[in-house]
Amino acid sequence: MNESILEEAKVIYSDPNQFNENKHSNEFIIEVQDLKKSFNGIKAVDGISLKVRKGELFSLLGPNGAGKSTTIRMLTTVLKPTNGDARIKDHSLIKEKDKIKPLIGVCPQENVVFEALTAEDNVEFVGRMHGMDPADIKRRTKTLLEKMNIAGRKKPAKSFSGGMKRRLSLVMSLIHLPQILFLDEPSAGLDPQARRLVWDFIKNLKKTGMTIILTTHDMIEADVLSDHIAIMDHGKIIASGTLEELKRSSHNGNILEFSFSSKEELIQAKRKLKQIDKVKKITEMENNKLIISFTGGVKTFKREILREIEMFKTLHFREDSLEDIFLKLTGRGLRD
Amino acid sequence: MNMIDLKAWYIAKKNVKEKLKNYGTMFWTVAFPIMMLIVYKLAFTEDGTTMINGLTVFDVEFPGIVVYTIGISTVSSAVMFSMSKKDGTLEFIDSMPVSRGNVFLGAVISEAIFMNLQLILLFGFGYGVLGAHFELAMMPIGYLIAMIYGVASIGLGLIIASFLNSPEGANGIAMLTHMSLMFVSGSFFPLDNGSVFFTPQYWVKQVYLQLTVIGDSFSDLMYSGTIITPTSEATFFPIWGGILMILAFTAAFIILGVKIFQKKTTL
Ligand SMILES: Nc1ncnc2c1ncn2[C@@H]1O[C@H](COP(=O)(O)OP(=O)(O)O)[C@@H](O)[C@H]1O
Ligand SMILES: [Mg+2]
Repeated sequence: MNESILEEAKVIYSDPNQFNENKHSNEFIIEVQDLKKSFNGIKAVDGISLKVRKGELFSLLGPNGAGKSTTIRMLTTVLKPTNGDARIKDHSLIKEKDKIKPLIGVCPQENVVFEALTAEDNVEFVGRMHGMDPADIKRRTKTLLEKMNIAGRKKPAKSFSGGMKRRLSLVMSLIHLPQILFLDEPSAGLDPQARRLVWDFIKNLKKTGMTIILTTHDMIEADVLSDHIAIMDHGKIIASGTLEELKRSSHNGNILEFSFSSKEELIQAKRKLKQIDKVKKITEMENNKLIISFTGGVKTFKREILREIEMFKTLHFREDSLEDIFLKLTGRGLRD
Repeated sequence: MNMIDLKAWYIAKKNVKEKLKNYGTMFWTVAFPIMMLIVYKLAFTEDGTTMINGLTVFDVEFPGIVVYTIGISTVSSAVMFSMSKKDGTLEFIDSMPVSRGNVFLGAVISEAIFMNLQLILLFGFGYGVLGAHFELAMMPIGYLIAMIYGVASIGLGLIIASFLNSPEGANGIAMLTHMSLMFVSGSFFPLDNGSVFFTPQYWVKQVYLQLTVIGDSFSDLMYSGTIITPTSEATFFPIWGGILMILAFTAAFIILGVKIFQKKTTL
């Protein structure tokens, strides 16, 4: 019973009339060409192009203000681009937005729920707008609200916590099982438990073949969920590919995180690190912290480092992450 | 663009549910007509003087109260709609397959339901409790005319809100529009000026006055009755002319509203 909606979704997304192949077909369901948006001369989105495959989970990863939400608002037909166009399932965003609206579902960054209505009424409204049958709406609403742990509440949504509204917003975005689901920071404001629930749910949705575009400033989220990641900054896509491709292209090698008790310690260590050949890049972070990328194996590097530097607080080796890739591309952290 | 269809109903249903749960707004909706009547009744307490045909000032002012109270729908619908702009729900609806024409009509329908509630209260309290003079046979037509004018007021409010982004701005401009129309129509003070003919308020008040205060036979009024000008002179307009004017204003606001909404989609 609980899985019924996912089964239903699978059938929908594998319908040969909808898609030629089930999953990861080579056909692009979204193709964006040089999309731009300025607000009073400020370039929020500065000429992005991207392609999304059917059945793929595509993430736009970037810090606040990168232009992710503006991109989503344009692709979901509610904001007029200053320049450029996109083809969504072969419909022009500029000329045929009415053909696009029935295909998409949207979970905006700010929770948009009708505060005075119950969860059920909120979802029913969206279903009605999509021309759904009342019986279908009822059945799916029940399953989805249960999955999101917010079933059985008769009180208006204004009595919900932020996290509950977020989950309701998610249910509202997919009651009609859209071809393409847009999730703008889906787990923002959720506690770790609810976040896990939402991630698992999104992973299950992925299995059905639904195409999902997601934005996040959280590299872990992008890492856990994405098939394809586009890194955005200052309105531009600065890197794009699978996680593996991004890692390969950044050639950072391994990473050492070094933290110190004082600025003096840090300066001293930095001077010594600069003399080590294997060190490729040193980035100074807040809280007396250094991020060092180096070549070669971890063990020999560690031995070498410990010979040179004695005064430090913590030392931590890890693999190159999305955060490092972002750091390398922009010279600052994702959360700056 | 989708044609106007059932979706307008679902939007109206949603709007009604929302408003019913908003106790502050509901209290105002109910209290406002009653308050207006009491204020007028107190302001025009009988001092023995009567106006035309043995009617009191309150009797004669009653149509004006109806015009003022129902005209406030311009303000409430403007505020309602600009709220949906501010809280993002309108943008959310925009991402769904529903035309702005449906959004407009949905708002008109839901606001009209509450406007009717106010009208019932006005009639019930004004005639029933405060004893305004009326002709029973004329009442349904009086109600209908006031209601059609109410729909025009709602349409006007929504049109105003479509140009403004903040509920405060919409509230201010809608109130200003309503008050200006009240003055220009001569509904506050009789105004001996041709401008009165360009306001729906004027026609409603005059036709209404004929129907529920002066009139006794509908067919008589329809064919031989004349509308009294602000200066109490009879015009060449029979009542059906006035009714036609009210219908024309309402149709114009609704058609204009749908057109403007269709154009003013963000994309
Ligand atoms: N409606 C708007 N008016 C003016 N500026 C805006 C508007 N929406 C977004 N911006 C600006 O555009 C930039 C990108 O914003 P946004 O797309 O929300 O970024 P993100 O979602 O990546 O955090 C920011 O500098 C933001 O201030
Ligand atoms: Mg955003």
